[in-house]
Amino acid sequence: MNILYATLGLIALYLYVSFASLLWEGLDRKLVARMQRRVGPPLLQPFYDFLKLMSKESIIPRHANKFYELAPVLALAVSIALLAYTPMGFAPLFATKGDVIVFIYLLTLIGFIRVLGAISSGSPYARIGAQREMIILVSREVPMMLALFTILWRLNHLGVEKPFSLATFYQRNVWSGTPLALIGTFILLFVFLAWLASEIEVGFFDIPEAETEVAEGPMAEYSGRHLALFELSNALKMFVSASLVVAIFLPWDISAYVGLSGISALVVDILFHTFKVFVVLFISMSIFRAITGRLRITHAVQVFWLRLLSAAIIGSLILAIDQLGVIA
Amino acid sequence: MNEKVEYWVKIPIGPIHPALEEPEKFIITLDGERIINVDVKLGYNLRGVEWIGLRRNYIHILYLAERMCGICSFSHNHTYARAVEEMAGIEVPERAEYIRVIVGELERIHSHLLNLGVVAHSIGYDTVLHLSWLAREKVMDILEFIGGNRVNYSINMIGGVRRDITEKHRRAILDMIYYYRQEVMPKIEEIFLYDPTVEARLRDSTVIPKRIAIEYSAQGPTARGSGITKDVRYNEKLGVYPDLGVKPVTPKEFTGVIKGDVFDRMVVRVGELWQSMEIIERALDQMPEGKIKAFPKDNMIIFKLKKAEGEGIGRYEAPRGELIHYVRAEPGRDGPAKWKMREPTFPNLFAVARALVGEQLADVPVAIASIDPCLSCTDRVAVIDANTGKKKVLTEVDLLKESIKKTKEINPNIKAKPERVGGVGL
Repeated sequence: MNILYATLGLIALYLYVSFASLLWEGLDRKLVARMQRRVGPPLLQPFYDFLKLMSKESIIPRHANKFYELAPVLALAVSIALLAYTPMGFAPLFATKGDVIVFIYLLTLIGFIRVLGAISSGSPYARIGAQREMIILVSREVPMMLALFTILWRLNHLGVEKPFSLATFYQRNVWSGTPLALIGTFILLFVFLAWLASEIEVGFFDIPEAETEVAEGPMAEYSGRHLALFELSNALKMFVSASLVVAIFLPWDISAYVGLSGISALVVDILFHTFKVFVVLFISMSIFRAITGRLRITHAVQVFWLRLLSAAIIGSLILAIDQLGVIA
Repeated sequence: MNEKVEYWVKIPIGPIHPALEEPEKFIITLDGERIINVDVKLGYNLRGVEWIGLRRNYIHILYLAERMCGICSFSHNHTYARAVEEMAGIEVPERAEYIRVIVGELERIHSHLLNLGVVAHSIGYDTVLHLSWLAREKVMDILEFIGGNRVNYSINMIGGVRRDITEKHRRAILDMIYYYRQEVMPKIEEIFLYDPTVEARLRDSTVIPKRIAIEYSAQGPTARGSGITKDVRYNEKLGVYPDLGVKPVTPKEFTGVIKGDVFDRMVVRVGELWQSMEIIERALDQMPEGKIKAFPKDNMIIFKLKKAEGEGIGRYEAPRGELIHYVRAEPGRDGPAKWKMREPTFPNLFAVARALVGEQLADVPVAIASIDPCLSCTDRVAVIDANTGKKKVLTEVDLLKESIKKTKEINPNIKAKPERVGGVGL
């Protein structure tokens, strides 16, 4: 019976997150347009785009192989599976011990499926986009994982039920501790915001889909329904990645304060969580893409391996020093 | 053979591509992200302007020349008018020369602002695109106020200009200059001289060294960015420009170094925005009273030009570089026997294609945008067989053969045997 409720919850969550993430895309386009002194598209433009794309014919290139049509479906399926392991203002639906590994694995898998789909399309632009996506993929995970595991290790030391699970963040607050720990956490927050920007490919990191260079890169050949599925899975991925940042650094809920319980508490929590996700995305996506341009791929790799990785190492060391009490 | 060859990928940029404003084609050979070779293919925007022109009279061509390109519409029309004036020996009133200077510099401001936006867009910095194009609206309004049109302002006439600049125009222009100095230029300088993203992307990308720039005869900001002090307004003492203190702008005055990269080309454009505003101010002060046309009626021009003989060359520093128009008259004909132009984009395109070798794919859009290409001006040579629809691109060898054939047809007595100069093997 429990698994039935969880499945129904997942479906409800999928519908809600699809709506919220597409709504955010509309908000983002409107906000950036205002920053650029433009009027911008209507708020619901991403919904119109999605519905229009769904009704359009999907053109399949002559040189594409079978995986070309399979990739969008797989990407969406993985995104939906990912929702089961995403903290949404409450512990993930299918929360288990060590589900953080599953979370990162599924998040990376979406990018990997995009790469496979792009290579299957047989377009030279898509191939270059896929190469770039692959390079970014292997570069961005390292500082993020170091930061994530440091935080989990520290929370584990503070004593939690299930170590290395995403539910941990709702039991222990990362901001509690000495001022030194706060500094370390703040550095890691910066690493996470940069990782989030690269995960959703905006600003500096709009490299794989660079419109003026490789004509939307991996998506160059996709059209119609296949493109719509990819757009939706991208929107879900954006929401989920931001949810991770929110769960780690802004885990507060309001349902306990207003004294709600049961279903209504969940609804209030998820609405408040959505609000926090929008705030994080506003910083990491809207502002970031309004004030920066795209880097070269070599620059981006340097940013990850030299700047962000060293920032993550410094932040982790500070937390470790604080936790182990090297300096009393 | 080199074993690496099999990993090389050929990528077409164009004829239709998001990075390009106009149809042109670059076939780029890539090794990963590094560019091995760039092959430029032109001829996607051929409209037969010269062919049309030879079937019109001298005054019609003014309006045709204006419509060759949307950005440098004044430059074409001005240069053509200069060529015809030189051919027929027509004196232009001084006030008309001043008005030409003012409108020409206004056009330079609008073209450079446009290009700053396009370059920013090609590195994905869309905020700069939208804000610089917003600033450009002001100068477009002024041009509309003076000429009655945003793009084709039809200022020139052979032997003068068609519209005068009155007191109210003068006030509007000074207002615009005040607005640009106070509001726009500080921001533009901040972005194109100091912004970290812009510097990371434009510095040391697609370097055109001075030697290459001279060999490929680069023009305009592309040449000046490489440190060549070449500006037709200055070198040729064009019209009244020497009285206005025009000088070639090089990046040395702003950054202290000349590298010849994309950054330097943009610095030159920013410098020229400042310079154009100064020139307009001085021109407005020094402008004498008097006639604005050498001929009060247009039909008198045709009457005079029908009797004209010889040839004329007009030169002008368009926003993109030196523009040359060549006109040859035939007595008794109300249109030219030959009309030919050379646009700055043509040499610049090959210079930048050469400079792209060894750079990354990410530099292609920004490098192409940095020379401000205007393909609608450049494309005029492509041979298409009307019966088969087959296209043939003429090479140097073919052109030499054809011209020898034609010369022999016209004058069978010629004995000399022309030979190809330089170049690679036949």
